[in-house]
Amino acid sequence: MPGPGLIARYLDALAGQLPGPVVEELADGLEETYRRYLGLGLAPEAAAHAAVAEFGAPELIAAEFARAHPARRAARRLLAVGPVVGLCWAVALVTGRAWTWSVPVAADIVPALALVTIVALLAVAARTTRYRAGAAGCIGTAALDAFMIIGVLAADPAARWAVAVAMVASAARLGLSARLLRPVLAGGG
Amino acid sequence: MRAEELKGHLDALLLAALEGGPRHGYAVIEALRADTGGRLDLPTGTIYPALRRLEQAGLIAGTWSVVAGRRRRCYRLTAAGQRALAGRRAAWREFAATVSAVLEGGPCPDPA
Repeated sequence: MPGPGLIARYLDALAGQLPGPVVEELADGLEETYRRYLGLGLAPEAAAHAAVAEFGAPELIAAEFARAHPARRAARRLLAVGPVVGLCWAVALVTGRAWTWSVPVAADIVPALALVTIVALLAVAARTTRYRAGAAGCIGTAALDAFMIIGVLAADPAARWAVAVAMVASAARLGLSARLLRPVLAGGG
Repeated sequence: MRAEELKGHLDALLLAALEGGPRHGYAVIEALRADTGGRLDLPTGTIYPALRRLEQAGLIAGTWSVVAGRRRRCYRLTAAGQRALAGRRAAWREFAATVSAVLEGGPCPDPA
């Protein structure tokens, strides 16, 4: 983008916090603002200072985008329902004496590691402007639910009521994750 | 007039600014500044997340074009946005008439 270094540095600061298409839109608006001040007779450096001041701090803009972005709402909803689904599975696995099931060690470790990663991604998306963490968290949650449903059906075909409840909870959350993911992916980042 | 009170009506003001036809973000801000006599004193950059929020709600729709080598996003009101604007306008008229009736002693508005 043409214009003094101040504008380039400002856009760099935005680019560090916001998705590319959003920065492109802001760059267009900032260029228009800059040109308006040039048209009012300001020197290039003064026009850049005025344009950047009028636009507001990059942190403020990023925070407003984060508040509006569906990734944050999606992450917060999944974090809110997570403990309920987790509790269902805890009851199902304990009452089903899951430790007696003959499953590969990886089937124990992988979902546990996945759970920790997903919670971390959702926590990041719920508090920051890292929207991709929200999308990854939604996909990860859906994948974990699908893994648990299929894996437990394979490992413990004699469905007990607690297992059935946990599967229904996971299936419901799988649907929720899919519904939340669509606006997250369409939300510009 | 307090700028904070205007900000409380930002969504309706943005919808109204797009009623006359599609505009890009900066044109929306300029229209609002002109129409409010410069009283809407928001950091320009914060209009863009507000537009994005209205787009996610389905009230406006954005499309990309290329102008002078730069990518530009233009917004237009959707049918839902037109209905929302009509609703906000009716609610505002009722509110303004009610407050005016008390503060200025005018006729009480018809509750219907």
